Amino acid sequence: MRAGSAFLAGVGSAAIVAIGWQAGVGTLVSSLPQSQAAASGATTAASSSSGASSSTTADTSTPAATTAPVASGIADGTYDGAVVNTRYGPQQVQVVIAGGKISDVVVLQTQTADRKSEQISSRANPILREEVLTSQSSKVANVSGATYTSQSYIQSLQSALDAAGFTG
Amino acid sequence: MAVHSFDTMGTMVSIRIADAEISEHTADDSVISVLNELEHEFARLNEKYSLYRDDSEISQVAAGALSLADASEEMREEYARALHWREKTDGAFTPHRPDGVIDLSGTIKAVAIDAASKMLHSAGFDNFSVNVGGDLTTSGNQGLDERGWVTGIVDPEDRGTMIAAVRLTAEFPAMATSGSAERGEHIWLRPETTKDFVQATVIAEDIITADVLATAIISGGHATLDQITQNFAVAVMTVAPDGSLQANAHFQELIAR
Repeated sequence: MRAGSAFLAGVGSAAIVAIGWQAGVGTLVSSLPQSQAAASGATTAASSSSGASSSTTADTSTPAATTAPVASGIADGTYDGAVVNTRYGPQQVQVVIAGGKISDVVVLQTQTADRKSEQISSRANPILREEVLTSQSSKVANVSGATYTSQSYIQSLQSALDAAGFTG
Repeated sequence: MAVHSFDTMGTMVSIRIADAEISEHTADDSVISVLNELEHEFARLNEKYSLYRDDSEISQVAAGALSLADASEEMREEYARALHWREKTDGAFTPHRPDGVIDLSGTIKAVAIDAASKMLHSAGFDNFSVNVGGDLTTSGNQGLDERGWVTGIVDPEDRGTMIAAVRLTAEFPAMATSGSAERGEHIWLRPETTKDFVQATVIAEDIITADVLATAIISGGHATLDQITQNFAVAVMTVAPDGSLQANAHFQELIAR
């Protein structure tokens, strides 16, 4: 069982790598521990109903862990990874195990349709702080913020930038 | 890079001209001349539209000593401009104080920034930024090796840090940020004012649009945010009271990478 859970933690990581690749940007993936926990949960719960509609490979409703040989750690079959929220909406992968090894990773939810509709409607959607502040911030020449008074200007970031402009 | 700062309208103006230099020894006459002209225009608009000055024209209107019909043509045009924005934002932006007094400070600062930008262009400068108390417009590039103007957005929870950095370019050169806790007297704590956002940043084709819409989002909350992202070609980022951020696709494209 130890081997089994360790392996599934590995599946969780594989899922994260796959999602990161799918989204194109590594920072889009939510926290690792959460994904691992959810992926490990698949040991007993097998796959949730969310994968059933998209799945075309194996029967995901059968709890695989109950028949898992101890030696290989996990039975052949198809396992759904955790749903991970990215800037493009929830993403989920499906891992196919054959001969005790990962033989395929399939992306279940790419949210292509939703992405398109978001762009059309131009709605403002949740965004992570890590996504909006980049290394380019060292080149900032101005700052925008709620109006500062003449008095508070001296403590503002803008005054620091202005002072830097005089000397540099 | 020439940098010039001065105090007006209760805040500070910071002007940066990338194609000019100012130092103790050398001062390009055209720079000094346009900066003088620009300071005078800010002062003129402040004298006319500040409700903090009893002798301003708008204070005369507020006091009932001068009827709007008898006010200057410029005053009536600016009032019409503000009413136009009230209409376009379904009332989220308004030039009327709860006590009925006409207050044009919600648009005049942006009008002044716009005027300053035109003056700099007329004087032959192509690469500059005009920042008035955290609202700004830009032109050209901040350096030979730096496209556009990299601009930070202040963290409302810690004014000493930034939460985002974007690149302002010709398509979206102007940016304004409003906050629920700002000094800005044009955000009235009306009963219907929402507490959805503590800060709203709008990046637009011109500073008047950016400034008015940022104010409107603070005032009108989620409903106004949705209306604005649907109806205007702008980039928007908001900060909720819990510190979480929202941004539209336009904004994400402008993030400086």
